[in-house]
Amino acid sequence: MAEFLDLLTSNSLTRVVFFPALICLPLLFFRKEAERQIKMFALSASFVQLAITLILVAGGFTGGGFETLRDVGASGEPLSWIARFGINYDLRMDGISMPLVVLTSLLLPIILAGSWRGIERNWKGYAISMFLLTTGILGALVAFDLFLFYIFWEVMLVPMYLVIGIWGGERRIYAAVKFFLFTMAGSLLMLLAILWMAWTYHGLSGEWSFSYVALMDLQLPIGQQVWLFGAFALAFAIKVPLFPLHTWLPDAHVEAPTGGSVILAGVLLKLGTYGLLRFALPFFPHAAERFSGLLVALSLIGIIYGALVAWVQADFKKLVAYSSVAHLGFVVLGLVAFDLLAWQGALIQMVNHGLSTGALFLLVGMLYDRLHTKKFADLGGLAKVMPWFAFFLVFSALASVGLPGLNGFVGEFLILVGSYRSGLIVAVIVATFGVVLAAIYLLKALYESLWGPITRDQNREVADLSLGEILTLAPLCALMLAIGVAPQLFLAPSKPDLERVLTEYESRLASAPVPEPTLYTLALDTEPAPDDTPVTPSMEAGL
Amino acid sequence: MSEIYRIPSADLAALMPELILSGTGVLILLLDAFLPRAQRLLAPLSAAGTLYAGWHLVGAAPSGLSFGGLLESSLLTVAIGCVVLISTFLAILASAGYLRRERLGGGEYYALLLWCATGVLLMGRATELLTLFVALELLSICLYSLAGYHRQLSVGTEAAIKYFLLGAFVSAFVLYGIALLYGETGSTRISELGPYLATGDVSALAVLGLLLLICGFAFKMSLAPFHAWAPDTYQGAPSPFVAFLSVAPKAASAVVLVRLLALVMPDGSATWSDLIALLAVLSMAVGNLVALAQRDIKRMLAYSGIAHMGYLLVPLVVLGPGSYEPLVVYLLAYALMNAGAFTVVSLLYAQPGEQHLISELAGWGYRFPLLGVCLTICMLSLGGIPPTLGFIGKYLIFVQAIDSGQLALALVMRVVYTLYMRPEVREPSGLLLDYPGRIAAVLAAFGTLALGTLPGPLLDWVKRLGSAY
Repeated sequence: MAEFLDLLTSNSLTRVVFFPALICLPLLFFRKEAERQIKMFALSASFVQLAITLILVAGGFTGGGFETLRDVGASGEPLSWIARFGINYDLRMDGISMPLVVLTSLLLPIILAGSWRGIERNWKGYAISMFLLTTGILGALVAFDLFLFYIFWEVMLVPMYLVIGIWGGERRIYAAVKFFLFTMAGSLLMLLAILWMAWTYHGLSGEWSFSYVALMDLQLPIGQQVWLFGAFALAFAIKVPLFPLHTWLPDAHVEAPTGGSVILAGVLLKLGTYGLLRFALPFFPHAAERFSGLLVALSLIGIIYGALVAWVQADFKKLVAYSSVAHLGFVVLGLVAFDLLAWQGALIQMVNHGLSTGALFLLVGMLYDRLHTKKFADLGGLAKVMPWFAFFLVFSALASVGLPGLNGFVGEFLILVGSYRSGLIVAVIVATFGVVLAAIYLLKALYESLWGPITRDQNREVADLSLGEILTLAPLCALMLAIGVAPQLFLAPSKPDLERVLTEYESRLASAPVPEPTLYTLALDTEPAPDDTPVTPSMEAGL
Repeated sequence: MSEIYRIPSADLAALMPELILSGTGVLILLLDAFLPRAQRLLAPLSAAGTLYAGWHLVGAAPSGLSFGGLLESSLLTVAIGCVVLISTFLAILASAGYLRRERLGGGEYYALLLWCATGVLLMGRATELLTLFVALELLSICLYSLAGYHRQLSVGTEAAIKYFLLGAFVSAFVLYGIALLYGETGSTRISELGPYLATGDVSALAVLGLLLLICGFAFKMSLAPFHAWAPDTYQGAPSPFVAFLSVAPKAASAVVLVRLLALVMPDGSATWSDLIALLAVLSMAVGNLVALAQRDIKRMLAYSGIAHMGYLLVPLVVLGPGSYEPLVVYLLAYALMNAGAFTVVSLLYAQPGEQHLISELAGWGYRFPLLGVCLTICMLSLGGIPPTLGFIGKYLIFVQAIDSGQLALALVMRVVYTLYMRPEVREPSGLLLDYPGRIAAVLAAFGTLALGTLPGPLLDWVKRLGSAY
């Protein structure tokens, strides 16, 4: 406990993860009526959170890449949490989780600022839910003990359920329950899989461990891998969401308040793709290989189906929600291509989607605050009265479409190139159609809302974005541009870690399948000898 | 004078917790009769008695057999005793306000509750069947009277009568079972039954006797298909008492079940395992499914309790050293969340009459933030969502054996949803939110959360159970 408090008060992952949860305590003591103070306090706290995240992350940059940061006790080992089962409080942040951690902390103040007017009652409860949610997300991103990961994974669930269910739209209850049941069903199977792995490890080594590193040592027969991969992948695929498990997403997005949509699209969904990359694929290489065809097919269906359904939406928010299905299909495609470039693309695309879709949801929310409608039929002609709004909408939509020079292009291009290199030529062709479709539906949305015929008189006098709203959107757009023009800066820190995971994946895949569960003799951290794994051209050519 | 049997002091010391409890009960009755002004002292006194008994239980009780092998004192009985006393303590805290609000006299109530706890403790420790039966009767009779304690309420009387009729029937079952076993083996000591039952050449009558005993304790644990009394009794009985009723007798019955199963399991016959597995699956299925359809929160908790007892049986299906740990942790989790939930229910429903509709809680999460949060935490624990003790308990059971059944979550969500996402439908009136009651709710919720977040010490302590067997 004392060591935990030491970590909490020092520049550590613990502080970054638990600061938002701690902020809830003083928030509890605000009077409910003192809404303005609550808002100011929460916003300042979220800036502090961003600052401590950046301070921590800045310390991790070394010459070439990003050095893994770990939270350790005085002994240099992770703190023991439940010694009985070898469960450790093991937090680590490497180049793969770092961009998502920064994104989460960055979105927090933006979400709070974006909810300034939209949340009309019980702002205090809303802020508390958001802070708790942030702790859950950050914890899940940096947990390197599977038990701990599962706890954080579940902790995310309840605040999100509350955010949708309390502050949502008309059908909020339906959406909240659907969200809850879908996610819960998946995560239960994952818990069983985690327990199965720990149990097997216990049988082989004689001691309990849920540590990521220890469980990576497990070499499982293909029959078991298939089931375990299925359990993990199902939990993550629901979260992503992958077609046909996506049906909860449009409901949740449409009913959630703006801030809820932003955090849902921005980071919550990324936990699914992050989980695939971190857990499901490296743990079960043979099963992943066997299922990769199916995953490619589902992600392609998601890309095309999401785009087609988005095209015909009459509701702006629903359109953005379905575009998420399509965009995350791209990310999954990149992951199952098993190519360094595609993985780099997938990781950056996770961030990109958080930025551009986050911005789009914010914009739709701002529109809704003014006009109380999200239907295209009621919009139109807004470019004239809301030039700032028009600017940001066009900017974000173009980033989402993948206009060269903006961030979306980088991610999609890398995913397509990487997939092509790993031989998924048909997939690349189909996915390219998805890019075209994205352009069609987003440009249609732009046209109908900004330049379409004016159907309602009130559209002639709408207040443009306030300074606060512009400041909320500006950092997102600045980052979209920055990633678009200087992608190297953002790709480089993650590259060594992605490369390591990929090499390891390939070497494990190359090893012969085993009939019974065994432990790998070689430890995780040791580099495999060069003659063991032929260096493939794909790794040399990574960006 | 030399004819008088002198109880060895070691035996007396072993019986200390029970003596303290029953002594406090007698003291309370006397106080109530002769010092009517001391009404306010009754609750603190009985709570203090419970704590004192707990201190003796944990600190001073010697390990081993006492009274010539009639009572056992082991890590398991101490652990179960702790669970029972925690639930007694919380029930006493929650009762004070209830009794005051309903204008019911307190003396008999606390005395009966304490004697009941005495019976539960004894039952968990008895290693001889007749002692077991006496303890069972002691606790049952107290339970019957407490279930009908609210005399003005017809549902209260209904609850008590239903419980009594079925309970009396079951007592007869148990007694008949004991008689059969005695007839076959010539002994009522569980330890002496073991060698006979382990021979493999067991007569049908002895098996019938065991079956009757298991049925009896399955009834006390409200396992399906012996569960029919639970929802009606829970609904009509005083809510704070239900926090006790739904935990303590079940905990002791679980220990007895473990004792009986330990007799027959080692011979490797799968029949008993199958029987327990059947009870477990049936209870989980019936409990969870029927709970979904309930509109009354007490009935819902009753059915979810049935399901939880099903979970509890899972580690007993294959009895081994590893079975004790999940059993104790799960019981503790169950005790805390039930105590919290029923305390909040008793505080928030002023009419302890026919129904405690979930829908009537609508929007009250905002009106009573503290109690709302407590109820939410307890419900999350009930659904096995981390970081609560309910999750740790479920985890331990999953480690033992893999099963599923997440229907309970739907219940959880319904209560949380009603508390926070529905507009209010009634104004609070006639409520009495006293401090002891609120403290009980907070203690239960906080315990659930704290032990769920930092389960290390608890698990380390409980681990000794496994190595002791």
